[in-house]
Amino acid sequence: MARGASEQRVPAAYLTARRLVGVLLLLGGLLVASLLAATLIGPTPIRLAAALGGDAGETPDHAIVFQARLPRVLLGGVVGASLAAAGAVLQALLGNALADPHLLGVSAGAAVAGVVVLVAGADPVSPLVPGAAFLGALATVAAVFLGARTGGRTSPHAILLVGVVCNALAASAIMLVNAIASYTQAQGVLFWIMGALSTQSYALVGAVAVYATLGLGWLWRHAHALNLLAAGEEGAASLGVDVERTRRAVFFGAALLVGAAVSVSGMIGFVGLIVPHVLRLILGPDLRLLLPASFLGGAIFLVWADTLARTVLGTSELPVGVVTAFLGGPFFVWLLRRSLRVGTEAR
Amino acid sequence: MRPAVMRRKGDSVAARRPPRRGMGRGVAGLAAVLGVLVLSWTESPAGHERPSTGPERIVTLAPSVTEVVFALGMGERVVGTCAQCDWPVAAARRPRVGTYLAPSVEAVLGIQPDLVFVVPSPGNREAVRALERAGVRVVVVQDRTLDDLWQSIRIAAAVLAVPERGEALVHRLQGKLAAVRRRVSQRPQRRVLLVVGHRPLVVAGRGTLQSELLAVAGGRNVAEDVGEAFPQIGLETVIARAPEVIVDAGMGTETGARTVFRGLDIVPAVAAGRIVSVAADGLFRAGPRVAEGAKALARAVHPEAFDSGGARR
Repeated sequence: MARGASEQRVPAAYLTARRLVGVLLLLGGLLVASLLAATLIGPTPIRLAAALGGDAGETPDHAIVFQARLPRVLLGGVVGASLAAAGAVLQALLGNALADPHLLGVSAGAAVAGVVVLVAGADPVSPLVPGAAFLGALATVAAVFLGARTGGRTSPHAILLVGVVCNALAASAIMLVNAIASYTQAQGVLFWIMGALSTQSYALVGAVAVYATLGLGWLWRHAHALNLLAAGEEGAASLGVDVERTRRAVFFGAALLVGAAVSVSGMIGFVGLIVPHVLRLILGPDLRLLLPASFLGGAIFLVWADTLARTVLGTSELPVGVVTAFLGGPFFVWLLRRSLRVGTEAR
Repeated sequence: MRPAVMRRKGDSVAARRPPRRGMGRGVAGLAAVLGVLVLSWTESPAGHERPSTGPERIVTLAPSVTEVVFALGMGERVVGTCAQCDWPVAAARRPRVGTYLAPSVEAVLGIQPDLVFVVPSPGNREAVRALERAGVRVVVVQDRTLDDLWQSIRIAAAVLAVPERGEALVHRLQGKLAAVRRRVSQRPQRRVLLVVGHRPLVVAGRGTLQSELLAVAGGRNVAEDVGEAFPQIGLETVIARAPEVIVDAGMGTETGARTVFRGLDIVPAVAAGRIVSVAADGLFRAGPRVAEGAKALARAVHPEAFDSGGARR
């Protein structure tokens, strides 16, 4: 198991309050710096004095920074944070290093539900859409988990395969809806598949941030139980963890995070895979630290990925899902090979 | 005799093309009325010239070519069209043999055509090869720009053995475009952003039919240098380019572009309330209705030129 391997390599550091606060402050500082830097980077050169000095609506520089870039950068942060935090807990819960909301089809499930509600006529900005996306995410998590579970444990291969099936089913469902929907709606459907960030209102960014923060808080409360659960169900139960209740609660929280993120950004892959992994290698597997660290790290990662997507082609943009896939694809293969190798040695 | 198969500019048309707009419910009534007019015009063309040669059973697999063939007065020989071929009304009543991007080989073969018109796309390449292997004569025409349109009209007219009608149609359409151009020629050219998708923001760039028609309509595409075809852009690029008019040809809801640009008063088009929805098929099909597309754009870009009395000033 890859998790076992990372535990071996990282020196067992006890989680002290000082370490927790120190790491989170460091990551928080990095995040703030990233948000500021990303807001100053873009295809259009801006004059800083005009951007910061002018009143709203007075100079183009001011409008570019505060009405175009900042809301988008913030949205990228919130979405990245949600996906990475969901990835971190799913990896622990499923005992599987390759768990990721995108690979498991959870993002796709959320997208299907969101698309159906949109095509049925819901306003794109109404809470119906994230609500439906949340339910779609929840249903897919449950389906993957139940489908891949044998003998009280989910095997890495089974879960990947079930995830592949869920993804394929969801993609087909989206294409089906697309075929039935009118042309007017088809354009909107495409967005869900591509995985792209765009400038949204501060109100919407704030709403997603509320979902994300609630989800993080909810999951963090179960971090200790998840730690025990990751070491083995029987052990966790004997130490007083209500296994089923914890599992349900964590699925619920992860689905909330993924649903909210997908409803505003479509299916952005690999954030939930890369970020928790890199951080686990550095910080160790204790979720009390790893979960909030992934939340902050995911925000940093997606903010920079989107900065690349906004600027690499000049004024024309790439969907950010393209950037994360290019970064995440090779990483995934490396991780898969590593996990297979470790698995063989352990046998 | 086999006409030249045109495959210039590569085959990646479909990937970059925005979906075509189906007919809105509001337009349906008007369309029905117009349809009857067009029907009577296309189904009995000019009377005197009744060609006895040329293909008798034609399948047209793209909305643009379907419209061209009907405008050439050869509509009654069309025995099959694509699912998106909704104009003229008579064309929509023909048997559908698959979608524009993915025609059904067996449906096409089943109606035994002696000529099939297609527009190249990655999705129909294999189907086209299969048809050719089955011995069906396939003519490939392009439909991305005005030049493509003139050429496809001439090719279709030649293949259908009515070359004079082809020249006449080209002449008539060019005349209509020139009329639109004259109407706005006294007006200052306005900077225009042509939105085709809202989330993410996708616009018409260089080398598109939309950009060409905009030039006819007295506008300058501010996204001309952003990229070819249909680039995705960020909101800051809209602010930086400061368009005076935003044409919303997007496939979203009526309020789509208004929502996207809400509060951006720094953009002249937003401050002046010049965000105009244009839903003309002619804007998206390099077919015989391009002049209507150009006129709809001209109305959006220079509404004063179309006020009563405004034109005379």
